[in-house]
Amino acid sequence: MTQMVAEAVRQASVNFWDTVAMLLPRILITASIVAVGWVIAWALKWAVRWILIWSRFNHGCERIGVTAVLKTADLPQPDVLVSLIVFWLVWIGFLLSGVDVLGFTALEGMVRAFAQFVPRLLVAIVILVLGVVIANFAWRATLIAAVNAKVPSPRVVSGAVRALVLILAGAMALDQIAVARTIVLTAFAIAFGAVMLGLAIAFGVGGGGIARRILDHWFPEHPQSEREEFRHL
Amino acid sequence: MADESLLSDDLLRQLVATGHVDILIGVPTLNNASTVVDLVRAAQSGLGKYFPRARALIFNADTGSDDGTPTLVRDATTDDTGTVSASKPLRTAHRISTPYHGMPGKGSAMRMIFAVADLLSADAVVALDPNVTSVTPEWIPALAGPVRDGHADLVAPRYPRAPSDAPLVTQLVRPLVRAAYGWTLYEPLMGEFGCSRAFATHCLEEPVWGTGVTADGVDLWMAAEALAHGFKPAQAALGPRLLDTPRKRPALPDVFQQVMDAVCACLELHDSYWLPRGQSEAVPCFGTLNGAVDVGPRPDVAGMAATFARDVKALHPVLERILSEPTLTGVTAAAATPSQLAYDDDLWAATVFEFLLAYHRAVMTREHVTQTLLPLYLGRTAAFLLEHASSGPATVDAALESLCLAFERAKPSAAALWKKA
Repeated sequence: MTQMVAEAVRQASVNFWDTVAMLLPRILITASIVAVGWVIAWALKWAVRWILIWSRFNHGCERIGVTAVLKTADLPQPDVLVSLIVFWLVWIGFLLSGVDVLGFTALEGMVRAFAQFVPRLLVAIVILVLGVVIANFAWRATLIAAVNAKVPSPRVVSGAVRALVLILAGAMALDQIAVARTIVLTAFAIAFGAVMLGLAIAFGVGGGGIARRILDHWFPEHPQSEREEFRHL
Repeated sequence: MADESLLSDDLLRQLVATGHVDILIGVPTLNNASTVVDLVRAAQSGLGKYFPRARALIFNADTGSDDGTPTLVRDATTDDTGTVSASKPLRTAHRISTPYHGMPGKGSAMRMIFAVADLLSADAVVALDPNVTSVTPEWIPALAGPVRDGHADLVAPRYPRAPSDAPLVTQLVRPLVRAAYGWTLYEPLMGEFGCSRAFATHCLEEPVWGTGVTADGVDLWMAAEALAHGFKPAQAALGPRLLDTPRKRPALPDVFQQVMDAVCACLELHDSYWLPRGQSEAVPCFGTLNGAVDVGPRPDVAGMAATFARDVKALHPVLERILSEPTLTGVTAAAATPSQLAYDDDLWAATVFEFLLAYHRAVMTREHVTQTLLPLYLGRTAAFLLEHASSGPATVDAALESLCLAFERAKPSAAALWKKA
């Protein structure tokens, strides 16, 4: 009996040390991959940041309004943000490669899944950035045009245009990375539909007179003789 | 040398048959049937009365009229009543009307007129605006005379203006062009002008034809080009400038956009000339201006002031990106009291130059920069008209001169920032 217990303990000990002997090299390899990956990611971060500074990336972002949005969201400057994204993407890639080396069944395929996820994430970021650029452009164009056309509440109108474009871009970005797809699409459809219905009711019930005046102005029944207006030239 | 592809074979034959001319009168037209006959008659009378010995050609470059304008030009007679005129010219004034099939617009028509002037070795070229209903025969010697006498290469018009007349010129274009180019040109947007063949040939050789500068702002470009390249400028006192009332006039935002794009494009094109230029020199004026004429309806100044206050508030986020803090503070303060609106000369000059810099640096889409200036221009116009509601012509002239001097004071710092951009 004692001999059996001793044998079992001896076998368990052997198994344990065999496992350690098998895992240790893998752990060392994983640690090396992670360390080397950190160095490479750090070097890439600075290289990307230097390229962005040299190409006046921040100036371009300020022109298209991205810097203002980042500032509002308490995020760092565009060049810093991009270089940070590059750093984390590269290092996470190395981390997952290192984890894959350990051979844990539960973690198998993570690298493949990450490699499939990264392009979609990048596309989503591009969609968001484009959405911000287009939203800012549309906001400014609408504001200036509304002011010059004497439209009432020009800031409300332009703000609504910007909000709509941002919501659309956000929904598209979330759909791209397949996050809560059904919820996002349904919520977007409901919200968008509600806004359009509300506008239609408001305009139809409250804006009938205005619509009539606009149509009369553009399609007069009897063309009026030209009323002389003040000349600026 | 003119690009002969501008001139069709049929036109070339007509021009060769005409031969050398002393005076070429160019009339660019587009659906001007209601006014072109009187204009051609005035031109013809002017030639007959003041240049009876000169060989002359009235050349109409038509950019696609569908109301019979070219036919009216060809068939217009000097006197429709059948009476015999006391003085008759010794030479025939030829008349050619031809369609232009290139890019539509006045720029293309002017290019053709210059090409014809170059081909026919015209000593003097006079360009008339067919939208003007107040052209008299005296305009011809006023615009052609200084050129023929060798006193000038470019003769710009000068009209008597009412205090509220053409504020886009008096409040913005004139002081800006004067401060930048350093010449006291009263009407930089020359609707009609006279020029020498040397200047016409020079313009033909410039590579700007077909671009936005000549498409929308050929008049201003020609004035700026003459000043920037050392051609002798002059001004001729003409009568009041009364315009035909077209059925559909372009909206103010479109007109403002065109004018500002033309001004900014010229300043960018000629910055090597105007950046180091100092104080302005006087442009000689031939003739005497008659008294100012009150033309057109008065604007709703109180409404403009109230709108200015509302628009400055609405556009504040955009103005923050264009104007410096002191200027923005000044503009906001001015807009805060619309009933006693005061937008002083120095503040307005600073505003215009900062917008110009924003346009040059493209801090945002250039169209947005120029359209954002429009409400401020209207506010400045309202402030000026409020201040001079009951001022006489002399007081208004002094105020406009003071405005030009304010622009000249603001120019050096703007030029320094322009160079850094």
